[in-house]
Amino acid sequence: MTESQRIGEIVETSTTSFVAVSKTLHQPPALGSLVKVQLGGEDYAYGVVAFGTTTSPDPGRRAVPRASDEVYDEAIYAAQPQLTRVLHTEFTVVLVGCFEDGTIRQHLPPQPPRLHYDVHGCTSDEVRRFSERLVYFRLLLSARGEVPAEQLLAAHIRQVYRARDRDAAWLERAAREVTSLLRDDYDRMMTVLYGIEPAG
Amino acid sequence: MKLALSSAEGSKERAVPLKLGLISEQVERMAESATAAARHELLAEAQKLLRRADPAALRATLSSRREPFPWLVAEPVGTFNATFPAPTPPPDFSVVAADGSFIPPDRHSPLRFYVINTGHAVITYGRHPDAHLDSEGRLYFEDAELYLDPTGRRIPIEGERLGVRMAIEEMRALREALGLASLPVVALRDGSLILWALQRKDESETKQAFLDQFLSCLDDFHRAQVPVASYISYTGSQEVVNALRVSLCRDDPARCNRCSLSTDQKDLCCFLSTLRDRHLFSGMLADGERSDLFRSRSAILDEYGEHRVQFFYVNVGGEIARIEAPEWVTSNRAMLDLVHGLVYDQCQRSGDYPPYPPVLMEAHEQAVISTTERRVVEQLVEEALARRGVTYVRSAKDRSKRSRGV
Repeated sequence: MTESQRIGEIVETSTTSFVAVSKTLHQPPALGSLVKVQLGGEDYAYGVVAFGTTTSPDPGRRAVPRASDEVYDEAIYAAQPQLTRVLHTEFTVVLVGCFEDGTIRQHLPPQPPRLHYDVHGCTSDEVRRFSERLVYFRLLLSARGEVPAEQLLAAHIRQVYRARDRDAAWLERAAREVTSLLRDDYDRMMTVLYGIEPAG
Repeated sequence: MKLALSSAEGSKERAVPLKLGLISEQVERMAESATAAARHELLAEAQKLLRRADPAALRATLSSRREPFPWLVAEPVGTFNATFPAPTPPPDFSVVAADGSFIPPDRHSPLRFYVINTGHAVITYGRHPDAHLDSEGRLYFEDAELYLDPTGRRIPIEGERLGVRMAIEEMRALREALGLASLPVVALRDGSLILWALQRKDESETKQAFLDQFLSCLDDFHRAQVPVASYISYTGSQEVVNALRVSLCRDDPARCNRCSLSTDQKDLCCFLSTLRDRHLFSGMLADGERSDLFRSRSAILDEYGEHRVQFFYVNVGGEIARIEAPEWVTSNRAMLDLVHGLVYDQCQRSGDYPPYPPVLMEAHEQAVISTTERRVVEQLVEEALARRGVTYVRSAKDRSKRSRGV
């Protein structure tokens, strides 16, 4: 990714996380990927995608099975064109930092991002810059969402490793940070480490 | 129509004054009588009658009778019992639907207004599948919108009159939505095309004000050669059944106390009086098949001109639906087949059982005004008045209903 893209719009927001509706159905940004939201002027909030789901926006409407022997998978959407208008894909983002006064800070932004603001994907350069320091791993590990925090952290490390062109030195640094943060909890530590093995 | 605003109060816990013990016994007895074996035999008899009744003789009876019939009687255009399989839809087509809902004028409110929200759905199938779903709401508050004959008799637009007003808005929404469709296309409306509410003698002003607007929408469809039809689910209509009663009758249908039929035939006639057309056709039409065409004889249709309504029944797979369309649609075999084929195709695409056309469902979803939205409109009115220094005072009766003190 070279330029940041508008990938969603915020529909729920708080100090620690927000929920956005994806611009494309079925395609929330990848689990663990870094995204940003404008806070005003040059300031941005940074967050990590922590969960995705596709449902009907109307709580009273549930999806019903629609496949037959002839029509299934993608063909269902061609046979039922209205589905693309009555379903939406949401994703949850946990906040891990902000860009304030020209500096990347790895703490919660002072204000929650605004409702209806756009969520942007981050370019490889931005990911590289943001992940130079790894203090924000602590925020990720304290996230209380649908996905266990160590799985989320592992997914994030995989995403950054890829965005950094398989930067082995960075991966090693990330692994050491994980080992240090989770040194008192062997099981959780191993969950992250197994999750980020380059071959795994 | 009861204002939906007050429905939230119903959810509050309260003692149930209805003695359910007594009711449940009667429910059992009612269910028993509705499913009795005798009814099954009589239904079989009624269906035999549908097969052998003579449409030409009935048409002759209908045209020769001077006095009106005591019931609404359908006139068979062709046969009583012919059936037609569902035509295969073309490879590419659109289906368009519109629906509406309203917030009626609230007589407890200090300001008189109503809101009509129309929703439309345009779904295109085939090589370029696409869908457009949208809605448009409007608040009506000018005197000329609230009353017919606003400077004279001031007839309020509410109740059935508001229903007709909404039907017109739905037809307009349907017409507008056509612009997003690709050909061939069928335009569907939920509910009847027959504005029977206008045929009452005391509603002549309503008729004068509304009928032309409704028919002019139909004119536009005719001009554009777009078949328009209405889909009626779970219809209570008895017009075909009544036609059978007339063809059974040897005397004057208006004088049942002077009946010369045999006891068996009398029983059948009495049974028919309780039967719905959808029951009659339920064993007659296979999946996808439609009945022959019938001409509706509602008095208001005398003023429909070329848009006089005909109807047929179709087995959409789990239900017998009634489809109404203007004569210029039903008398054109290509249009008729398109309506029949696409209605059945819609039901095949439904995720529900019994099926319901997805295009109508989506139009409804767009049109519906939720309880929350109703409250928001009320709040907007309240706030707008408050900014002008007027305190919103609801009627004492309404307040007493909202906070039910003991």
